[in-house]
Amino acid sequence: MYGWIWRHLPGNAWVRALISLVLVLAVVFVLFQYVFPWAEPLLPFNDVTVDEGSGATP
Amino acid sequence: MSRARRRAAAPPAGSRSVLAGFLSLLGEVLITLGLVLGLFVAYSLWWTNVLADRQAAARGEEIRRHWQEQAPEQAGPGALDTRGGIGFLHVPAMKNGEVLVKAGTAPDILDDGVAGYYTEPVKSALPWDEKGNFSLAAHRDGHGAKFHNIDKLKNGDAVVFETRDTWYVYKVFAELRQTSKYNTDVITPVPKQSGRTAPGRYITLTTCTPVYTSKYRYIVWGELVRTEKVDAKRTPPAELR
Repeated sequence: MYGWIWRHLPGNAWVRALISLVLVLAVVFVLFQYVFPWAEPLLPFNDVTVDEGSGATP
Repeated sequence: MSRARRRAAAPPAGSRSVLAGFLSLLGEVLITLGLVLGLFVAYSLWWTNVLADRQAAARGEEIRRHWQEQAPEQAGPGALDTRGGIGFLHVPAMKNGEVLVKAGTAPDILDDGVAGYYTEPVKSALPWDEKGNFSLAAHRDGHGAKFHNIDKLKNGDAVVFETRDTWYVYKVFAELRQTSKYNTDVITPVPKQSGRTAPGRYITLTTCTPVYTSKYRYIVWGELVRTEKVDAKRTPPAELR
């Protein structure tokens, strides 16, 4: 998979490395900005209140 | 002979390369998943704190500015403005500075790095109420982690709530290190299991325990020992100095 991506990037090794870095940063940005905020409430790690189990409060 | 062996070896080599290709793809996918999970941990325990602290600091500054604009003498009783927050909680034993307190305990409120007072299932009293239980919740980890060090609180420790006009000084008198998340009795006006049976002016801090999980709840109770008027320089009470 990564080999395939590397082979299909244009330019010499330095250009490819630079493009790879940009791609990695873009993926991290998408994860932090969209994926993790969406996933976090679905996971049972951060409920802090007491409630009656109605699901109304975390 | 050697030709025959070569011909015989050729088909296995082909299927082996398919297998090898599949395994290396699987390996890369698994490594990627591991990295993503690692990033998720960094997100939960670090990045949400950065965002929440930034948010809470901005809101806190806004409220302090608002308090200054509106001098105490001008505001009559009942001029309380709860927009954006009612005040700041200071818990020296938790060593986390001031915690902005807002109404409500919904995730979108607590995720901004504040402590929220309960509006349900049991409505919290407010510090200036004659009697009742001022019940608060905040995150143990991530999103500011405002009650991370709740386990450092001991009986007799001070919990101070600051409003525009008054310092409310509470002293911790009981704790429940682990209870069910459905135990709503802990935030009733006279909290059960705290040892108190008569109405009074209590404060209850709730968060999750053990750290990094939400299996149980950690409860700390305090009661009001005195109030102090805020002076012109906002000199903090002795407990915070």
